[in-house]
Amino acid sequence: MSRLSRTTFVQLLIGKSICEALVVTAVAAGLFLATTNPALRGWLDRADGQTISGWAVDNNNPGRRVEVQLFIDDRFVEQRSANQPRPDVHQANRAADDWHGFVFATPQLAAGEHEAKVYVLHSGASSSRRTLQIIGNPIRFRSDVSQ
Amino acid sequence: MTVDVTTRPGETADRNQLRFTDRSLAGWEIASVVSSIVIAEWMAATAAGYSKAIIAVPVALAIVVVILSQRLRSESLREIGFRFDNFWRALSLLAAPVVVTAFLCVVVGWKLGTPVNFLRWHPNRYLALQFAVGFGWALAQQYVLQGFVNRRAMVLMGRGWQSVLIVAAVFGLLHLPNITIAAITFVGGLIWAAVYQRVPNLFALAITHSVMTWFIVSTLPATALHHLRVGLGYFF
Repeated sequence: MSRLSRTTFVQLLIGKSICEALVVTAVAAGLFLATTNPALRGWLDRADGQTISGWAVDNNNPGRRVEVQLFIDDRFVEQRSANQPRPDVHQANRAADDWHGFVFATPQLAAGEHEAKVYVLHSGASSSRRTLQIIGNPIRFRSDVSQ
Repeated sequence: MTVDVTTRPGETADRNQLRFTDRSLAGWEIASVVSSIVIAEWMAATAAGYSKAIIAVPVALAIVVVILSQRLRSESLREIGFRFDNFWRALSLLAAPVVVTAFLCVVVGWKLGTPVNFLRWHPNRYLALQFAVGFGWALAQQYVLQGFVNRRAMVLMGRGWQSVLIVAAVFGLLHLPNITIAAITFVGGLIWAAVYQRVPNLFALAITHSVMTWFIVSTLPATALHHLRVGLGYFF
């Protein structure tokens, strides 16, 4: 093997590694964009023994009522549309109309502390996948059996 | 991997004077090609539903590295194993392992209660066509595994059990996370690598590779083989 050829070959190996790193990065970025919707906005406002409520808007399609899923202690509870009146969200220019709120009735829970999380259901370009995006921060709340 | 950076008398150690030993370069070549295959395997399911064409990039890069490496080392097709003069000798060395594997497959399949069905290997294809496809795929795998990885492993560790072990480990690891197939391919890799070092003939290896695959698929339960899925595709 000539020295020049060896140098060229080593440069090729380095170039190949860089190229593959770029491809992997592009696929990772593409997968992120395909499985998430950066335009989703929302917040989990309240969680207690009676209700769990908040709002959610897809800024890419402000007229659409997005689907939200409630999880308590990481267990699925219920899915519904965010189509309840939230005029305050509209007035704050976070939504195109009043109808982007959601309210879940808190189910019967064992006494003690629980954690509520609400996710927006996102369908990407591929119909084979649906992903969940959390909105706002999880809220911890106490539940009494007497409720 | 070690890299020797040496200077000759009167030279300064700038980047043009980086001198890799043959062993270092061979190790790097193996790592480079294996990493490309791993990327392709583990990206396949990720890209499913979007565009699988992206997988062609690491595969094409690996093929370019293999071909250029062989050109730089002036390896002829005959040296690599595309030849017929030693075909029967290679086949005779592989006959016993194939018979033993076939026997073991039948016994294990019978013990597990799997009905033997020699038409199970892609039943929607004619068996002759499936044999042709299987042979072609086996030849491609053996070309990379023996014609490239084994030859570079011999540069790295010399002829013998250490380089044979590298080849078998590479072949097994590339079939993860399918533990059953990884174990089978590790054993197969040991046999093929050892035979290749004695009698380099890719056609004999490819024939036994496809025959062994046919026996394994026909006798062992599909659930244990997980439909031969490897990489990220194993989970989908």
